[in-house]
Amino acid sequence: MADITYKWHKSYTPWLFIFPTVLGLTVFRLIPIAWSFYLSFTDWNLLAKPTFIQLGNYKELLASEDFITILLNTLQFSVVYVIGSIVLGLALAVLINTKIKGISAFRAAIYLPVVTSAVAVGIVWNWILGPTYGIVNNLIEAIGITPPYWLGDPKLVLNTVASVQVWKMSGYYMIIFLAGLQNIPAETLESARVDGANHRQSFFGITLPMLSPTVFFVLTIAIIDSFKNFELIYSMTKGGPGNSSNTLVYDVYLNAFVYYRVGFASAIAYVLLIVVGLLTVANFYIRKHHTQPLD
Amino acid sequence: MTKKQETILRYVVISLVTIIYIFPFIWMISNSFMSEKNIFSVPPKFIPDLLFTNQAFDNYREVFTQYNFGRYTFNSVWVYTLAALGQIFVCSLAGFALAKMKFRGSGLVFSLLLLTLMIPVQVTIIPEYYIFMKLNWMDTYLPLIVPSFLAGGFGTFMLKEFFSQVPSALFDAGIIDGVNSYQMFSRIYMRQASGPIATLFIIAFMNNWNDLLRPMLYLSTRELYTVTVALSQFQNQYDVQWNLLLAGSVLSVLPLLLVFVFCQRYIIENTMNSGIKG
Repeated sequence: MADITYKWHKSYTPWLFIFPTVLGLTVFRLIPIAWSFYLSFTDWNLLAKPTFIQLGNYKELLASEDFITILLNTLQFSVVYVIGSIVLGLALAVLINTKIKGISAFRAAIYLPVVTSAVAVGIVWNWILGPTYGIVNNLIEAIGITPPYWLGDPKLVLNTVASVQVWKMSGYYMIIFLAGLQNIPAETLESARVDGANHRQSFFGITLPMLSPTVFFVLTIAIIDSFKNFELIYSMTKGGPGNSSNTLVYDVYLNAFVYYRVGFASAIAYVLLIVVGLLTVANFYIRKHHTQPLD
Repeated sequence: MTKKQETILRYVVISLVTIIYIFPFIWMISNSFMSEKNIFSVPPKFIPDLLFTNQAFDNYREVFTQYNFGRYTFNSVWVYTLAALGQIFVCSLAGFALAKMKFRGSGLVFSLLLLTLMIPVQVTIIPEYYIFMKLNWMDTYLPLIVPSFLAGGFGTFMLKEFFSQVPSALFDAGIIDGVNSYQMFSRIYMRQASGPIATLFIIAFMNNWNDLLRPMLYLSTRELYTVTVALSQFQNQYDVQWNLLLAGSVLSVLPLLLVFVFCQRYIIENTMNSGIKG
């Protein structure tokens, strides 16, 4: 038996171990979050002293039609991304959840875009979806349909970029759903089959309800990830045409580091923080009140 | 439908779906072996004209020499190796303390780490930029290394989970031997952790490799560029040559592709176990 009075570490040891992490957390996360909050009430160009202008930035934001467009774009991107990721991720997982030969190669192929940089992904999709030389539009023309202008049509461009992001990330959600599917006991599905349930009945009656913790996990991650679209927008559209594919994360960059309106950019960053926070809280609230334990 | 027909059907569907995921990569590679005349043809050509000639690697040679992609790849490799190693060191210390030591405030630190993981980097980038400006770290690699070194929320989370699952018999054996905390960490727990540490290295390396915002903001000397920012600047050039741009894209993706091919089991299994991709 271990001697329970033996102390294997001193009372300050944990703090030594955790010191670099706490330092990083404070300097690169907590202080910047608080500081951004202060900056959002100032007019600043990074060089001169910030001027305190109270709610000036927020008033300007709310009065700006461009900003409302950007806010709505952000939400639209998130909705397309979250729904696309869940539906496609689950469909791929169901498809790939089998023990046939070579399945791990297919799985790896679908996962490949996840580990590829958004810049390279943006470049190749720009080329594929290009108006004159792009392969997609040439194929559409070949069957006699007038092809859309994927990245130039203001009504279409945001959905195009969001879909490319779904394409890039769906392999990741597939793997999480796959883990969830493999946790469902085979006997449960087998007994349903014996009772005469067909594929559809056993999917909607057993698989999906038993998968609901995974669905909520994916929902949480997908909501958080849906705002991280800066790289893809930068490499595909730069927010254009006009503001039609501009989102909050891209607009923060634009205002802070292209126009040097740093106080204004901080206000946008805070709107972003509030949106992320509200959606995350709503998701946890739904999870707490609308899911029943399965056993 | 017989079992055999069902298997065949499944193969067909899976293959069709996989093509959607693979095709952009194939297209990128095939077009990177085309001359400018060949790549700008309507309808698009499928067979690259340079591939079976002695000019096959002309695009790659030009991207490598004239556009300096060799240098950028080298930069990315060493900078991000350093960043990933630092992240492993710091995260394993923190993960161990959070998993195995009881102390006041551990819950708070852990919650704050997880909470800040959710926040997009754009929320904190402005003060971060100002800090690095005041530290005179502009146009050095420190802003690419230090934040990922110190604020590795996902690595800490992953290693904490791992360390709490190490069988307690090992812990008890350490107590009987009378080890101190550093020996407990380095001789007992770290020896068990080679799998998660390898995974963490790969994930941290990949995430950093693909980062665009920080190298774009902090590096201004061209020779210092990472491969991702170099590719992005190449794309921004007026009258971009697509065959060269696609060759550059292949070069920027290739190192990660190789890592992925050899380590995909680690990466995918880790995602299945913890849900974390960084």
